[in-house]
Amino acid sequence: MSIDLFRSPVWTLPPPPPAAPTYEAIPPSMSKVIDIEAEIPLQVVQLDGLVVTKILKHSREATSATVHGLLLGLDLDGTLEVSNSFALPHHVSDEDEKSAKSSGMRIHDTRRQCCGPYGEVQADDSVVGFYQATSLGAFFNQNLVEIQAIHQDKLRHGGVVIVHDLSLTARGNASFRAFRLTPAFLDAYKKSNFSTSSLVNHRLTFSSILEEIPLQVRTNPLLGSFLGSLTKSTPSLLPDATPETARSSVLPPSFSALDLGTTGLTRNLEQIIEAVDNYRTEEGNLAYLSRQIARERARADMYVAKRKEENAARVAQDLAPLPEEDVARLFKIPAEPSRLESMLLLGQIDAYGKSLESTASSGLIKMYGVRSI
Amino acid sequence: MALGGSSAVHIQSSTISSAPPIPRTPSSITIHPVALFSILDHYLRRNDELQPRVIGTLLGTRSPDNTTIHVRSSFAVLHSENEEQVAVDMEYHRTMYELHSRVTPKETIVGWYSTGSNLNTYSALIQNFYSQETAPHQAIHVALNTGAEEGEEAGVQAYVSSPVGVFPKPENCIFVPVPVRLQFQEAERSGLDLLTQTALSPNSTTAQPVTSIANLDATLNTVSQMIDRVLTYVRQVLAGEVEGDKALGRYLMDTLGVAAIGEKGAEDKAFNASLQDTLMISYLANLVRAQAEVSARLALVTS
Repeated sequence: MSIDLFRSPVWTLPPPPPAAPTYEAIPPSMSKVIDIEAEIPLQVVQLDGLVVTKILKHSREATSATVHGLLLGLDLDGTLEVSNSFALPHHVSDEDEKSAKSSGMRIHDTRRQCCGPYGEVQADDSVVGFYQATSLGAFFNQNLVEIQAIHQDKLRHGGVVIVHDLSLTARGNASFRAFRLTPAFLDAYKKSNFSTSSLVNHRLTFSSILEEIPLQVRTNPLLGSFLGSLTKSTPSLLPDATPETARSSVLPPSFSALDLGTTGLTRNLEQIIEAVDNYRTEEGNLAYLSRQIARERARADMYVAKRKEENAARVAQDLAPLPEEDVARLFKIPAEPSRLESMLLLGQIDAYGKSLESTASSGLIKMYGVRSI
Repeated sequence: MALGGSSAVHIQSSTISSAPPIPRTPSSITIHPVALFSILDHYLRRNDELQPRVIGTLLGTRSPDNTTIHVRSSFAVLHSENEEQVAVDMEYHRTMYELHSRVTPKETIVGWYSTGSNLNTYSALIQNFYSQETAPHQAIHVALNTGAEEGEEAGVQAYVSSPVGVFPKPENCIFVPVPVRLQFQEAERSGLDLLTQTALSPNSTTAQPVTSIANLDATLNTVSQMIDRVLTYVRQVLAGEVEGDKALGRYLMDTLGVAAIGEKGAEDKAFNASLQDTLMISYLANLVRAQAEVSARLALVTS
């Protein structure tokens, strides 16, 4: 068995692998009792420097608009330490109903494959959530909600989703935020009931779908010292160097935050228009459906009233009254439409608006700053 | 045995028949920060007693003419070494490679890494193995010194190997140093800045998310500190406390000369136009958000 495992190149005798301690799986009935960590509520998410760069690289290289991957780590004393991540391959068929199930399956499939290996090199190997990279803060979408709903069911603490904003990063401010679904939303989602009454009962608006968890970025001391030696500048060896090359450093300081141009502003505006258009279409659909409901209801009411009148007449003539219960059979009143999509679209519009606002405000500051110089 | 007369003949014939075009030796290597940070993470998680150093596989891309290798990512590989032997878990290596190639199909195996800067017989053996994996291209070896041991400076070195001796043996080879550079996309820059700031801050943690205004503030502070530093230096020179560096003076002159002052009227006009645009956008953003909020509330109203 040892030879199989250590299939080494031709030159050596494979040594027996160190006897790994074997762990008995905790029976499901007991796991709830033993799992003390689950009792401690999640206070803060801590993101390792490695994960920061991994997410950045993945989101820069990916060809598709949305990028996601798994977060590996462990939770301790209310702090969720995310120490590694694994990019998930992009699937083109990320469409509506199927995706919820298949992405859930996919995640657990990949998890089995990739996390076993991570455990062997002593990395944390339990999935604690997933990450998603979007531009301009439009992370409100069905996909995220669906995956997160599955996670929150399966993972301890429900798992978190870390959202990385590409456009902000491009402007020199790497941005990571951690979210999870609120209990109220999750409850409504489980019942898959997003009718008006359910929304009122759960007090749901777009701002109460996700709750933000404080996020910290942490670098371990080794990484810190290595970064220190990367940013250290060394004088050039050439005697007649130009100012740019006189001192060189692997990682020179950058001042991209001082860039005066407002890049991405047009794109942001376009996206707002797009989202508003989508919202209007969705509202149109909803209005159409509710009109239909109203019409059906009116017809049913009319029928009932007519039947009542008829019955009154029949009673007056001493005839047996006709039954009134067959209304439900005759008229199919459609169920109230789900307002989830329109709610998410509103969330998107709000997020776009927020990012536009912050761009505009920092733009103003920069303008006045430059003017006073 | 018929060929036993001269070994030179033997080598000649084998190269001509078996390997028609030998790919060119890579002359420069670039490394993405992710690869480096993964190595550091792996090193941090090693078993201290069993593994004085860790090794792993480097993934990346090659330039079309094969002279530059871009190392894009890396993953850890299990290995154990002692005085007698070295063993590498190849099964694991294959599994991980397969997983990685599913996400990033463009990245192929380009070589391997190890921590510490000593090259020994085992390095040559492992190098020989990875050369088989990367054939027909040459495998590269990146040695990362973590700087964790005393008296050693953190740094990265890259090598390609060439066989040595008349009969090349796997355990002998010459490691030829190749220049190596850190390379990343400009957009990833801010992430690295974030990490650098984090490394400098107490507890090595920073809270997120940083608003763009806070970020701007931090950058302006840095600039202001730099200006202060230059100012102190200039004052010291003027007061005669330190001897002025002529080159530095010239650089300062050049930099200050760049700040061009444009025409007054045109500048004001442009400023006002831009100001109006920005205010308009800010107003629009607030309007949109208010509308969204109202709309969400109205959805909850039932008759």
